[in-house]
Formats: sequence, structure tokens, C-alpha cells
Amino acid sequence: MLMCRDLAVVASDYIDGELAGLQNLSVKMHLMMCRDCRTFIGNLRASTELMKAHSSIRPDEEFMRRIDERVAEALKARKEDSGDG
Amino acid sequence: MAAPAPLGEEALIQSMKAGDDHSYQEAVRTFTPGMLAVARFYLDHSSAEEIVQDCWVTVIDAIHKFEGRSGLKTWLHRIVANRCKNRLRSSNREVPTDFSESLEPELAGRFNAKGRWDLPPKMQFHDSADKLMENGALSDCLDKHLSALPETQRSALMLYEAHQHKSDDVCNILDVSASNLRVLLHRARQKIFLMVETFQETGEC
Repeated sequence: MLMCRDLAVVASDYIDGELAGLQNLSVKMHLMMCRDCRTFIGNLRASTELMKAHSSIRPDEEFMRRIDERVAEALKARKEDSGDG
Repeated sequence: MAAPAPLGEEALIQSMKAGDDHSYQEAVRTFTPGMLAVARFYLDHSSAEEIVQDCWVTVIDAIHKFEGRSGLKTWLHRIVANRCKNRLRSSNREVPTDFSESLEPELAGRFNAKGRWDLPPKMQFHDSADKLMENGALSDCLDKHLSALPETQRSALMLYEAHQHKSDDVCNILDVSASNLRVLLHRARQKIFLMVETFQETGEC
């Protein structure tokens, strides 16, 4: 029988729909009977949604500016090369 | 002057091929965060930044060979991953990863010997993600905890959740098996779950 701890181990797989039929069914049955696990799955799902809603860690502006500069230089050099050729 | 509207992917690729500066600026803004997440899976902060910068310069020539078999994002992420793997090979190093346990110790300690909850989740997170994110303190706390995640977990989480890659693509880019990706994602999510729980109970990060 699936215990609460077993469910916690496969919780992300369950949320992402990655569990095979029988295992998925055992989780569903356990969830019907166990309020604590329902809360846990709900909260883990909310945490996952939170991650999606949160913009990823942004690189700092100075780093982005350096890339823009290097790309602009490389584009300019390329245009000059093709103009000479 | 207002910023130009973002181009669709095909239009963006065509104007990059034409060497248009603005389209490169748009592409750099859009794709650099994900590229950096890939590079940080493999390398330290400064090497990762260096690789991402070099990749953008390479892209100016390589874009002409881009055939669109994958999306632009996946193509860029693969270029970064390949460069990082080459760098690791040349320095004979490996990515340190821990796939041994799928439960975070803090969560594993909340079950009794029979596998039942000893310390169940006390409250339900009622608010939607968008509503929760309106709480500036929680948002700052999430930033802090994301920064503290092991690089491998954070990169997996970023690529899968924030950049919405499919599992197969993440496995390919990060060179991990499907089951190892599942462990990385689950460990990272549990840490975020524990963080939100503490925050909601105590108001502290």
C-alpha cells in the first residue's frame, strides 16, 4: 500500500503527469483518503506555479550591455568584411 | 521613442540573418537568461558569463546554418551546452550532482517510521501564484532561495519551469537522464515548497 512518504517521493512526477497508469491510480486513491497529502500536493503544485510566475533570475544589466557591445562590434566587422569582399 | 514591438520568431531569425542590430538586441534580451541558466549548470559564474558572450558572437555566423529543426531557444541553449561540455572536457572536470535521494532531508524528517505524516503541512496555500507574487517580501524571499539552490537544480528548474522546455530537451541540453532530471526538479520544488510554507507560517524568509 502506498504510504504518505511514498507519495511525497513521486509528488512532482504526479503533478507533471509522468506517473505510469497503476502508480498514478494508487496516488489518486491515496489522495482520496488522505487530507494531509491532498494539502501537500496542492501546496507543492502552488509552489511550482509560483516558480513559473516568477521571472527567472535576470542577468545583471552590465553583463547584458557587454554582450550588446560585443555583438554590435562583431556585426560591424562582418559588414566591413563583406563590403571589402 | 517607444521600443519596437517584438518580432515573431521567424521574422526575428530572418532579420538576424540580415545582420540587423536591433533584432540581435531583442534576441539577446530574450534568450540570454536561459543561456546563462544552461551555462551555470556546467560552469562557475564568470566562466558561464564568458561562454554566453562568446556564443553570441558565434551566433552571428552560425545563424546562417540554422535550419529551424528545433526552435531558436533550443538551438541557442544547445550551442551553450556544447561549448560548456567542451570546456569541462578540456579541463577534465565533472558536474557535481547528487541524485541519491529524491526527498529533501527536511521533508523526509516529517514522516514517522510507518511512512505516515508526523508533521503534516499545516495550512493550504490559498492564493494563486500571481496573487502570491504580489507580495514583494515573498518575491524577494523566492529570489534568495532560488539563488541558494545548487546550480544543477536551479538550471533544471529554470529550463523546465521558467523557459518551458520539454523534458527531452532539458535532458539533452543538460546531459542528464530523464530520471535524474525528475530528481533535480523534485528536490528544487520541495525547497521552494518549504520556503513558502515557512514564509506563510512565520512571515519570515
